[in-house]
Amino acid sequence: MNAPIDGIALGIVIVGLALSTFVTRTSFLVAGARGRLHPRIETALRYAPVCTLTAIIVPDVLMHAQHADFSLLNPRLIGVLVSGLWLLFSRNIFGCLALGMAAYSLVRLAQ
Amino acid sequence: MIPSQPERRAAFKAGQRAILQSLPGAATWGVVSGVAMVKGGLTVPWAIFMSLTVYAGSAQLAALPLIASGMPVWVIVATGLVTNLRFVIYSAALRPYFIGQPLRKRAALGFFMTDFTFTLFMRAAQEGWLPERHRDAWFAGVCSNNWITWQVSAITGIVAASYVPTDWGLEFTGTLALVALVGPALNARPALVGAVAAGGVALLAHGLPYRLGLFVAAIAGIAAATLADSWSARRATAQGEASS
Repeated sequence: MNAPIDGIALGIVIVGLALSTFVTRTSFLVAGARGRLHPRIETALRYAPVCTLTAIIVPDVLMHAQHADFSLLNPRLIGVLVSGLWLLFSRNIFGCLALGMAAYSLVRLAQ
Repeated sequence: MIPSQPERRAAFKAGQRAILQSLPGAATWGVVSGVAMVKGGLTVPWAIFMSLTVYAGSAQLAALPLIASGMPVWVIVATGLVTNLRFVIYSAALRPYFIGQPLRKRAALGFFMTDFTFTLFMRAAQEGWLPERHRDAWFAGVCSNNWITWQVSAITGIVAASYVPTDWGLEFTGTLALVALVGPALNARPALVGAVAAGGVALLAHGLPYRLGLFVAAIAGIAAATLADSWSARRATAQGEASS
């Protein structure tokens, strides 16, 4: 595991992220003449966030020292499963965070 | 920012009122993003700087675990960009309504547009209660209230989290918030197919050099979701033809 990003590199990351927000949000609003989105590209763009976020979450939750940890003693896995169960019944994010944190903390304490 | 002409001022205020009911939701997400930034390892000044400049909750939450694990700068920025790609669709959808406005105003309205404010604008347009005139002032009112609420709640979360001890494990709220972003989207079958593909490939490709695994996984997921989408669309037309 590398050291966290800090200092100038972190500043560049944040400015880069800000630019990505600006460029995507203003794209078609400032583009000249008449730009239109091809339907297939629009479909791909629609699913991009869900796929990217999942690709971040899964290794973040499961990978531990270069191995996937599917055991019920993995506190992050239990926390995410409990949060996911909650989301099946409610969109309330407070419940999702509170229950997920509680399950995560319980498994951590049990170790 | 508040327009001086009475009619435009009235439109601005109507916009500010129209967003009121979604402000509690925006505030909740703001606090969560603030807590996640500080517990994810950012100092208070960096977290405030990120909130004010990036102003995109999901891209911020996506970047945090990558910053914490020391990923290369370009990987983090590119990931944020992909997470933000949905705004290109929003921008294209808003274009017909604002194309008569000066460039600078279109850019400003675009930057302050978010998931919340875009959804409200399109709902107003579909349900027919979007004002006929001064739509730019109305949308500026919508966006300004959303921006103020988000920043105040995010900074509240940032400052509050800096007093919480690290061993509470609050950094995990960032991961849970990402789960809360993804979960409801999985209602649509193509999104579910895409997420399963992305997650599976992310595990298999974890060891790839230059952290390419993340992108390989995202692209595999997007491809799978797009295929599933066109497949279900074709099936829907086939059923439509069969029943007619």
